[in-house]
Amino acid sequence: MSTAAQEFLRAAAIRSADLRHRRTIRQAIDHYDRAIERTRSRFDDWEAARLRCREIKREAVNHLDRYLLEFEGHVRARGGHVFWAETSAEARQYIADLAARRRVLTVVKSKSMVTEEIGLRPALERGGVRVFETDLGEFIVQLRNEPPYHIMTPAMHLTRTEIADLFREKLGGVASDDPQELTAVARGALRGAFFTAEMGVSGANFLVADTGMIALTTNEGNGRLGTSLPRIHVAVAGIEKVIPRIEDLAMLWPVLALSASGQPLACYNTLIGGPRGPDEPDGPEEFHVVLLDNGRSELLADVEQREVLHCIRCGACLNACPVFRTVGGHAYATTYPGPVGSVLTPNLRGGERFQHLPFASSLCGACTDVCPVKIDLHHHLLHNRRNIVRSAKRPTSERIGFKLWRWAMMSPERFAFLSLLGRLALRAIYRLGLEGSMLDPMRSWTKVHAPPRIPEKSFRTLWGEKHGAK
Amino acid sequence: MERNSEDARNPGRERILARIRRALREPRPRPSESGTAGAIFAAVPDVVGRFQKECAGNNTECVVVPDMRRAPRAVAQVLASVPAGEIFVQDAPALRRMEPAWQEVRNVQWSSEGRASESSMATITLAETLVAQTGSIFVSAACGGRGASVVSPVHIVVATTEQLVPDLDAAFARLRESGAAAKNSFLCLITGSSRTADIEKIIVMGAHGPRRLVVVLALSSSWLPLTAEP
Repeated sequence: MSTAAQEFLRAAAIRSADLRHRRTIRQAIDHYDRAIERTRSRFDDWEAARLRCREIKREAVNHLDRYLLEFEGHVRARGGHVFWAETSAEARQYIADLAARRRVLTVVKSKSMVTEEIGLRPALERGGVRVFETDLGEFIVQLRNEPPYHIMTPAMHLTRTEIADLFREKLGGVASDDPQELTAVARGALRGAFFTAEMGVSGANFLVADTGMIALTTNEGNGRLGTSLPRIHVAVAGIEKVIPRIEDLAMLWPVLALSASGQPLACYNTLIGGPRGPDEPDGPEEFHVVLLDNGRSELLADVEQREVLHCIRCGACLNACPVFRTVGGHAYATTYPGPVGSVLTPNLRGGERFQHLPFASSLCGACTDVCPVKIDLHHHLLHNRRNIVRSAKRPTSERIGFKLWRWAMMSPERFAFLSLLGRLALRAIYRLGLEGSMLDPMRSWTKVHAPPRIPEKSFRTLWGEKHGAK
Repeated sequence: MERNSEDARNPGRERILARIRRALREPRPRPSESGTAGAIFAAVPDVVGRFQKECAGNNTECVVVPDMRRAPRAVAQVLASVPAGEIFVQDAPALRRMEPAWQEVRNVQWSSEGRASESSMATITLAETLVAQTGSIFVSAACGGRGASVVSPVHIVVATTEQLVPDLDAAFARLRESGAAAKNSFLCLITGSSRTADIEKIIVMGAHGPRRLVVVLALSSSWLPLTAEP
């Protein structure tokens, strides 16, 4: 077992036993679920909306070269720059070099998972640049010096009391733990940075090919200030973010808003196509788009999993996932946690390090049910498992175990006999009070749970009694 | 020239494109179920009524006036509740004509004189189009620039019902027609006033953008004529 896998199990075990964490997450997701419930009724046909979004992304991803070139052409025609980065390191380097060349001292960032993926903040900080995360949730986790917990709600794991204590310690002047006041404190702390920063860095929710514009969805307005006031704007986006037409947003914007936060539309849906135009009163002098591959073209080549590139990063699958809700976002130790992260990460980052992630799922399919672009997430988790088992040498115990299982279940009589033995043995073990001991084959469950009551009759017997034995 | 030199400094571009083309040689089979032809959203018959209802729900103040002649007074009334200080106004003929209604009490900075300043107490702009279904306002760089609708605590939009369309599809059709995406480096669909739900997923109004968003909506399609003063 690799170290990363052991780390995951350890972090997951600690978080699972943390009842306060569980309460915080449950409350936050209950808020989210109620908002979804209210807003989904605005769609006459939610299923049709999902299909439409899937079609838009399918068209784009399956003609990726054409749409990216169209996008690039329009951005350049307006005086913007487009840089294609093969790896995280290239993307980081391009932005850090630009900052150094333009003597940038301060950067204001809006929330962007792809900048987390490329490790942009530490790279800029090494160059002596001050970087401010300006999304409230990101600002909070930056003050705590930890990665975002959730791709949509970075500080989901924290209560208002913890945030108030953090602000009191780092910023001062906090009287209560009222979210309204805490938001005002963060606004005040960041206001100056917006007006002094020389560079604003954003992500992009979509790249619109036919107009050469990036589409940026935010609620707070931080993304708007950061792309309006500084003299340089750098947008970083994965190559899979491109969509064919501006009209596609009429469907994608409401679907993203619903799935991400249960809103009919986010507060600000911004489109930016270049630097300040000749007749415009404001806007940056320079506009750069960094298109990131970083493993995406490899995933594109995998026809079975290509549709994972349809993901719009709404976070709905995280909220729906019983594993995410229990082990928490930090246990994954990846940029993208939860079901979509467990599909993406082993593909994008390769190697052995993340091979345990597809197994961190009950395969219940809740993620697939909520995905707004209908990615078959739980089957992709299963595909990843298959690929991993095929490619890597599994532990001998596991291989023998599965061989035995296969032998046992291939004959109905054998299966019935062995399950009878199993029930008798378990009942005896639990009667002797040996649950959780080395003799208990269920010990990984019974270590932290009461042993289950072993039923008198097997499912097969009950079925036979009810429907007539065969 | 520019293009060639830029590409030369970016060898990754050709390699990424080559990988994409190689990957796409094997097409993905179409999924069996495809998009239905049915309506995803219900039609919006009463656009003005729907716009008002949505505004009430998303924390936008909607002030309906019978015609553009009444708009200056409505704007002045909103300004009366805004603390003293400079206001920033989009330099458009329609708004120039309204200036007499507030010039005595306010120092006005026009968008033609520069960007919206950090200290402006309110901004007044026009819009590209309004969307009834979601109570949204589409603005562009032409509407006083990128900052006009975000830096000050109050944003007042002056519009007519002629600009009001039922839904987002219709709004994008309007933008296509007017060429707004080609003419502007910036467009923004604004729905309600700035907010966040980053603390315990509880909605808090007034994050970095305006705390108040006001739409003064004239029920007639005609703009204030140059000669007629109320």
